[in-house]
Amino acid sequence: MKKAIALALAGVMSVGLLAGCGSTGNSSSASTGTDAATGETSTTSSGAGSLSISWWGGDSRHTAYQNALAAFTEETGIQVDTHYGAWSGWEDQTSAALYSGNAEDVMQVNWNWLSQYSGDGSKFVDLNEYSDIIDLSQFPQSTLDACTVAGKLQALPVSMTGRIFYWNMNTFKEAGIEEVPSTLDDLYAAGEAFKTKLGDDYYPLAMGEYDRMLLMTFYLESTYGKPWVEDNTLQYTVEEIATGIDFIQSLEDNHVIPSLQTMNAAGIDGNNSIDKSEQWINGMYAGIFEWDSSATKYKGSLADPSGFTVGNEIKFGDKANGGFSKVSMGLAITETCQDKEAAAQLINFLLNGDGAGIMGSECGIPNSASGLAAAEAAGAVDELVLEANTKVMQFVDFQLDPTYESNDLKANPGGVYTDVFGGYSYGEYTDSTEAATDLYDGVTEALEDAAKG
Amino acid sequence: MSTASAPVRRSPFKKWCDQNTGLFFLIPWILGFLIFKFYPFASSLYYSFTDMNFFKGIREYGIMNYIDIFTEKETRTALLITFKYAFITVPLKLVFALFIAYILNFKIKFVNLFRTVYYIPSILGGSVAIAVLWRALFRDTGVINTMLGFFGIQGPDWLADRTWALFIICLLRVWQFGSAMVLFLAALKGVSVDLYEAATIDGASKTRQFFSITVPMITPVIFYNLVTQIAQAFQEFNGPYIITGGGPRNSTTLVALLVYNYAFKENEMGMACALAWVMFVIVMVLTVIAFSSQKHWVYYAD
Repeated sequence: MKKAIALALAGVMSVGLLAGCGSTGNSSSASTGTDAATGETSTTSSGAGSLSISWWGGDSRHTAYQNALAAFTEETGIQVDTHYGAWSGWEDQTSAALYSGNAEDVMQVNWNWLSQYSGDGSKFVDLNEYSDIIDLSQFPQSTLDACTVAGKLQALPVSMTGRIFYWNMNTFKEAGIEEVPSTLDDLYAAGEAFKTKLGDDYYPLAMGEYDRMLLMTFYLESTYGKPWVEDNTLQYTVEEIATGIDFIQSLEDNHVIPSLQTMNAAGIDGNNSIDKSEQWINGMYAGIFEWDSSATKYKGSLADPSGFTVGNEIKFGDKANGGFSKVSMGLAITETCQDKEAAAQLINFLLNGDGAGIMGSECGIPNSASGLAAAEAAGAVDELVLEANTKVMQFVDFQLDPTYESNDLKANPGGVYTDVFGGYSYGEYTDSTEAATDLYDGVTEALEDAAKG
Repeated sequence: MSTASAPVRRSPFKKWCDQNTGLFFLIPWILGFLIFKFYPFASSLYYSFTDMNFFKGIREYGIMNYIDIFTEKETRTALLITFKYAFITVPLKLVFALFIAYILNFKIKFVNLFRTVYYIPSILGGSVAIAVLWRALFRDTGVINTMLGFFGIQGPDWLADRTWALFIICLLRVWQFGSAMVLFLAALKGVSVDLYEAATIDGASKTRQFFSITVPMITPVIFYNLVTQIAQAFQEFNGPYIITGGGPRNSTTLVALLVYNYAFKENEMGMACALAWVMFVIVMVLTVIAFSSQKHWVYYAD
């Protein structure tokens, strides 16, 4: 009897291991909208006049969205349910919700999600069909084109973004440096000054695996004068990529950035970003290479934000400035939305209307002309974000390929970027050529996969 | 003269219902099992032979996932680490639980308080809050390294060093020894006092009594704990997911976490299902081995 009970128990527990792995349906199972195309006023499944929206971000973005949605409800009488949170783990749950048809009516989407999750156009509504509700003329055609996948305008661009340096000048001044670094030699000099004057625990810059990949791309594009990917083909050879990896390693070797082991020990990893670390908060890590829309988040987490400064882009080579811009994020209507017209109304309000004045620069500098005007009129454009965005847009030469941010490449852990830059920092590769080969193969595979659709 | 009344005639349906009343009580469970256990179980087997992707659907059928599991470095490493994790935590947890249970079996003051205190980690141990606490304890400037610093010891980078990180995950598991301890305690209470008295009269030491009386008498519970702990260890997810995220450098990516990553980060449901099935087979084989071996070392009084 005892044997039977124990065997049964073990069996049930083992079954439990597998029970979570079931799945249903197929990839093209998106339900269809009902009456959006008819132009008739429709009601939602959750009651007349209600919508749902999801977004990720920090506290200040949450507040901005909530205020904007309250204004929308007041203006239209349409209630909006919200689902929001931090970025960590957000994509995991969002992709599952999209697949299962449980996603919110309106979604803040990452640019690459359009091709990654709706490459066939099955998940998001074609917003061209709602041009009578949404004023598309407010957006530059190039950004609308960037959000057009499978012949459908699947999202409206909220803002354009790129990477730039931010510095905590309070720490730099403690190290005897008064000016923000503007050249590679400045970075090396800062590394030396931090080490000698402040100690081994102080670094002028901190970069995770993906940050390193981005900075390496800036370096390569500036040095070789060509985009990272063009026509879905990687433009760099293994040897060229190896020089980029050597460049990143030189930053580690010269005490410009901490090793990834040092950062992991400080609790910074795929689950916890730099802004949440004691090292950033207290100024021991005095610089970041981040999106121009992230200024307020990183400034807000500093114990003493008085020294937070938007840096200059650094030109590493002589062939081009290097670097790239991309659509930072978009607002999309899911195909499962029951009241697509109301959803379109909401998007227009947030991007072109009064909502844009409330949102300000919380999601970056508005891409919509009327949205930017509303934000500026409301005094809601953060000067730091504007300064960073202006510098980025004046500097960058190239557009980013959407596959660059594919989960296969970017995921932490498990992504190619994480494996290559993590592995190299941890000393798992014999030389940079070996690491470059892995990066080359991984990116090429991702591009081939993207081409298959 | 007989006074017996005529037998009541029942319809065949009512008769069948009377005979199978228990079945009706079981229907909710059966439905729940079929929908929430059997169907996912069966469909996961089906998907394991496909390249099922959430957003790309099924484009290929075959055993490619199983080939990948045994040929790709990522999955082989995860399997190896999971075995290492299980073979470290299960024996340690059993020994520690038995040791504490043995102590708490003595008539000491505040024994009920101690039993409660030692059981608490089992209730809290798998929670997110404890995992976050664990992370705070073992970071470079965490409590543990601060305490070591008082003694002039430079603590390692617990969570950033590939060897130590796995140790920290194991430690969290071993710390949750309460449920095994309670079972051991119940088993120890069930060992006849007569046996110990007889052994004492024969001059057996406490150590000898422990290994020659206590351990053999509680082998059924040791066996039970062994089997359940093996199954649990191979399914460990919370600890590595929250404390290390599988890092550093995948050194704490146990198979359950890799299944999650495949399913929800990379949307490769086919690969995730195949990996789950491999784990199922491994746990089943280990369970069968354990059951086969019990005739050599488990003593059943009945």
